[in-house]
Amino acid sequence: MAALLGPNGAGKTTILRALAGLVPLAEGRVVLDGRVLEDPARRLRVPPERRPVGMVFQDYLLFPHLSALENVAFGLRARGVGRAPARRAAAEWLARLGLGTQAEVRPARLSGGQQQRVALARALAIDPRLLLLDEPLSALDVSIRAEVRRDLRRRLRDFTGVSLLVTHDPLEAIALADRLVVIEGGRVVQAGTPAEVTRHPRSPYVADLVGVNLLRGRMHENVIEVEGGGRLQVARAGDGEVLAVVPPSSVSLWRSRPFGSPRNVWSGHVSGLDWLGDRARVRVSGRPSLVAEVTPAAVAELGLVEGMEVWVSVKATEVREYPA
Amino acid sequence: MVRPPTQPFSPVLLVLAGLGALFFVLPLAGLAVQMPWRSTLQILADPGVRTALELSLVASLASTALACLLGVPLAWVLARLRFPGRELLRGVAILPMVLPPVVGGVALLLAFGRRGLVGGPVATATGFGLPFTTPGVIVAETFVAMPFLVITVEAGLRSMDVRFEEAARTLGASRWTVLRRVTLPVIRPSLVAGAVLAWSRALGEFGATITFAGNFPGTTQTVPLAIYIDLDSGRLPVAVVLSLLMIVVSLAVMVALRGRYLGDG
Repeated sequence: MAALLGPNGAGKTTILRALAGLVPLAEGRVVLDGRVLEDPARRLRVPPERRPVGMVFQDYLLFPHLSALENVAFGLRARGVGRAPARRAAAEWLARLGLGTQAEVRPARLSGGQQQRVALARALAIDPRLLLLDEPLSALDVSIRAEVRRDLRRRLRDFTGVSLLVTHDPLEAIALADRLVVIEGGRVVQAGTPAEVTRHPRSPYVADLVGVNLLRGRMHENVIEVEGGGRLQVARAGDGEVLAVVPPSSVSLWRSRPFGSPRNVWSGHVSGLDWLGDRARVRVSGRPSLVAEVTPAAVAELGLVEGMEVWVSVKATEVREYPA
Repeated sequence: MVRPPTQPFSPVLLVLAGLGALFFVLPLAGLAVQMPWRSTLQILADPGVRTALELSLVASLASTALACLLGVPLAWVLARLRFPGRELLRGVAILPMVLPPVVGGVALLLAFGRRGLVGGPVATATGFGLPFTTPGVIVAETFVAMPFLVITVEAGLRSMDVRFEEAARTLGASRWTVLRRVTLPVIRPSLVAGAVLAWSRALGEFGATITFAGNFPGTTQTVPLAIYIDLDSGRLPVAVVLSLLMIVVSLAVMVALRGRYLGDG
């Protein structure tokens, strides 16, 4: 799965709509599995209803006058499948997504998470080769997002086509996608794996957007055992696989071991220095490795150069952890 | 307990409001007082009265159907397509709402009459003429009733989220399927409200009908026309019974639409 990441108004949704055929291209081409879906130069354009593309809309757009089952069956019916087989297939999809008992319920009576699953079932039921997800979690209450995100990742594991996610939430992109495309003002500013993009943001904007320290690990009580070594103390207690986010601006660097309130203190080596305008991003290799964001003045005062040893401190309260 | 704040009011305002209410209540009371309750059934069973009632029912339902058939596509064009002259087209389409119906009747005669713009050649070629026939009644009623449907359905289409249609298209629905299975069901409240308003307007139509279709018992004399003729020729009880019947129908329409389709009433 690829994720298109960018601020509001960057043109993310427009790209999805163009891929679905809902807005015509002025130039460029849309090719899926070797089949040209749109090529204005050759006056070629496959209308949306004949593209093998499924779309999950931001606010789901479930048909309010149809039950969950009829919503899922809609695509099959529109593609000429008979009423009985279409309903049977739709019922199977709902059962697969854990909504077997909600088949006859109208969308208005479903919770946000259930609506999202119906929308996913509706898009997948037509057996698309390309699945488009437009901010699939943004309509959900923050408290259930992590759970639904995990659920969504599990559901999509079985999907064999290409999926493209649009989001302005880096965490969502990193958690769901194995390839990130960052766009800004309608242009691609950076593309790569989540690890590459978070490690080497190419503009201050990307740094702000995804330039966070994202650590995977296993949590027990209020300590996270970080994958690849090291441990982090956090404020809250929990259990299981987690993603921990440490904002680079909250990482402090010291020449010698500091004594104070921060719960997490360890040493490492400066493995890189990037200048981004009025800020320096200092990569520190250690257990765990992190990026710290400091001012140029701090770089000068500490005499930071590549290879030197530094001490790192992070307050437990600055670490945000999410179930992975 | 917190008491709801009382509106400050002036006695003058209340008196005027009371007079306004009386102005509506008194005519109804006048009808009720004159109502020949004992002979009501007898009057309604009269063959002439029944013919008018049946004709009114058939013609108003037929014109509602015609208004839906032509009005929904027209509303769709007005709501969804952008083209020069759209505002003008909308103006023309809803003009009959404010036009004196008798003027509508004259205009219909000049268009579809035996010597009319379209009616003339048709009459010459086939010998068929709309005026003074039951289809003529339907045409006249549709002319005054359809704007109510167009304006209501257009409003419904405009307030509808068109992305429902996009969602349907990504699922493989053709434009026709989208219209049938998504658009019309989603705007159903507007559609029902528009059809009911058009129907009640058609049922009460007088001016355009009498001008274009005339007043022939059995073919073009609808209930409003019959009421007028009965009153004119001294059959007051018949006029009163038919009038009250129309009032009952209008009230029923209002009650049915209230809340469900015309806001929260």
